[in-house]
Amino acid sequence: MLLGHCRFDIGKGDLINQDTDVVWHLPRAELHVLSLLVEYQGNVVAKSLLESGHEDDSHLSSASVARAIFTLRSFLGPQYESLIETVKGQGYMLRAHRARKETTSTWSAPFIRLQQVLLMVIVLVALLLAGLWWFNQQRHTVNPVLPLSVETVTLKSEQQVDVILYSLSNTNNELLIAQAQQLVQSLQQCTVTIWSRVFLSLSHDKQVLNITLRGDHFGQSLIRNLKISDLRQPKQFLTPQWLAQLNICSTSNGRVAPSNQLQGG
Amino acid sequence: MTRKGLWVINIVILLCLLGSVGTIYSLTSKPTNFMLSCSSELFNHGATGSESDHYLLVDLVSKDGLAQINYRYYDLEGNSVGTLAMAGKVNKVDTERQMFDVSVTTKQEYTGKNGQSTPAHYEYLSYISGLNLNQSGMHSLSVQVLERDETKDYAVVLFQPSNTVCGCRLVNQ
Repeated sequence: MLLGHCRFDIGKGDLINQDTDVVWHLPRAELHVLSLLVEYQGNVVAKSLLESGHEDDSHLSSASVARAIFTLRSFLGPQYESLIETVKGQGYMLRAHRARKETTSTWSAPFIRLQQVLLMVIVLVALLLAGLWWFNQQRHTVNPVLPLSVETVTLKSEQQVDVILYSLSNTNNELLIAQAQQLVQSLQQCTVTIWSRVFLSLSHDKQVLNITLRGDHFGQSLIRNLKISDLRQPKQFLTPQWLAQLNICSTSNGRVAPSNQLQGG
Repeated sequence: MTRKGLWVINIVILLCLLGSVGTIYSLTSKPTNFMLSCSSELFNHGATGSESDHYLLVDLVSKDGLAQINYRYYDLEGNSVGTLAMAGKVNKVDTERQMFDVSVTTKQEYTGKNGQSTPAHYEYLSYISGLNLNQSGMHSLSVQVLERDETKDYAVVLFQPSNTVCGCRLVNQ
C-alpha cells in the first residue's frame, strides 16, 4: 500500500519512506489508526471506531488517536500529510485520489532518475556532434584571397585594361610586381587589345607565373591562360620580346606570327 | 519533479535531437556537383634560353562528393606528353563565398612516349603533389571563383595553395 512516498507494509506493521529508506515500525496506536484508515480509504472513519479496539479489546483514548494522526502525518511529511484529512466533527479520512496518484510516483523516482541520465547522455552526444561539426567546418575553412593590387592601364586608344595581382601574402611580392610592371609597359604600347582584364599570380614557390587574359569578342567570352616556368636566376618570366611574341595587342584570340605583333607598338 | 521542469527537459531534448539531425545532415550531405575545364598554354624559359611550348588541359569534376582532377599535357602537334590523374573528395562547397575545398588522396602519372620530354609544369606539379601525398597522404587544394559569368559559362578561378589563377569553363551539373 502506497501513501505518498511511503509504503505501508500492513503485515509487518512498517511504514517505509522509499526516498530515504527509513523504516518506521509503527507503534500500536499508529498501526491501528493507519490500518483502519487504509481499510476505509476514501471514506470517513469515525473517531469512535478509531478509538475502539480493532482486533483486540484494547481501547485508545481520543488524545492517543489525535497523537497517532499527528505522528503519521509527520512521517508522511509536508508534501503528503494532507493525505490524512480531518473531517470536522466526524473523524479522519485517508484520501483515495492522492494515494492513487502517488501510485505512479512509485515509478516516478527511478523514472525521473533515468530521464535525467538520458538527458545528460543526449546533451553530451549533442555537444559532441556540435563539436564535430564545428571542427569539420574549421578544418576546411579557407579564407577567400583578395587581390594584392588592381591597376587600370590606359591604352593609346583610351581603352582601359585592368591588371589584377593575386598573392597569398602581402610581403615578398617584388618579383610578381616587377613582372606585372613589365606587362603593363607592354600593354601601354598597344593601341587596342581584345583583353579587358588581366589576372596575374606567382606560384607559392615562385617557380611559375600564371597569367589569365579575359576579354570579349562580339559578345563571346574569351579566355587565354598562360603558365610560364623559369628555372633561371634571376627569373625573367616576362620580357618585352617575349610579350611581343605573345601578341597581347591582338584583336583576336589566336596566335599570330611574331612579325604581325605589337599593333601600334 | 514539477510539470514546468518536465517541459523544460522535453524542450531541451527536442532541441538536442533537432541539432543532432542538422549536424548529421551537414556531415553526410553531398556537395554540389560541378565541373571546371581549363585550357592553358605552357612556356618554359630554360637555362639554355630555349622554350618548349605545350598545352595543358585541366578538368576538375565533382560528383556526389568525389573529385577527379586530370591534368593532360600536349605538345603543339597535339601529342599527349603526360597526364596526371588525381582522385579524392570534395570536403566543402561554400556557395556564398564561391569556394570549393578538395582533398586529393590518390594520383596516377602517365608520361608520353619514350624519349619525349615532359613539360616543366608537369614535373613541378608531380613533385608538389607527390610531396604532399607522401607527407600527409593528402594533397589539399581549394578553388576560389574570382570572376564568373553564368551566361557565358566561364569563371576565373584561383587555386590554392599553389596560388594559380586560371580561366575555366564552368559547368554546373
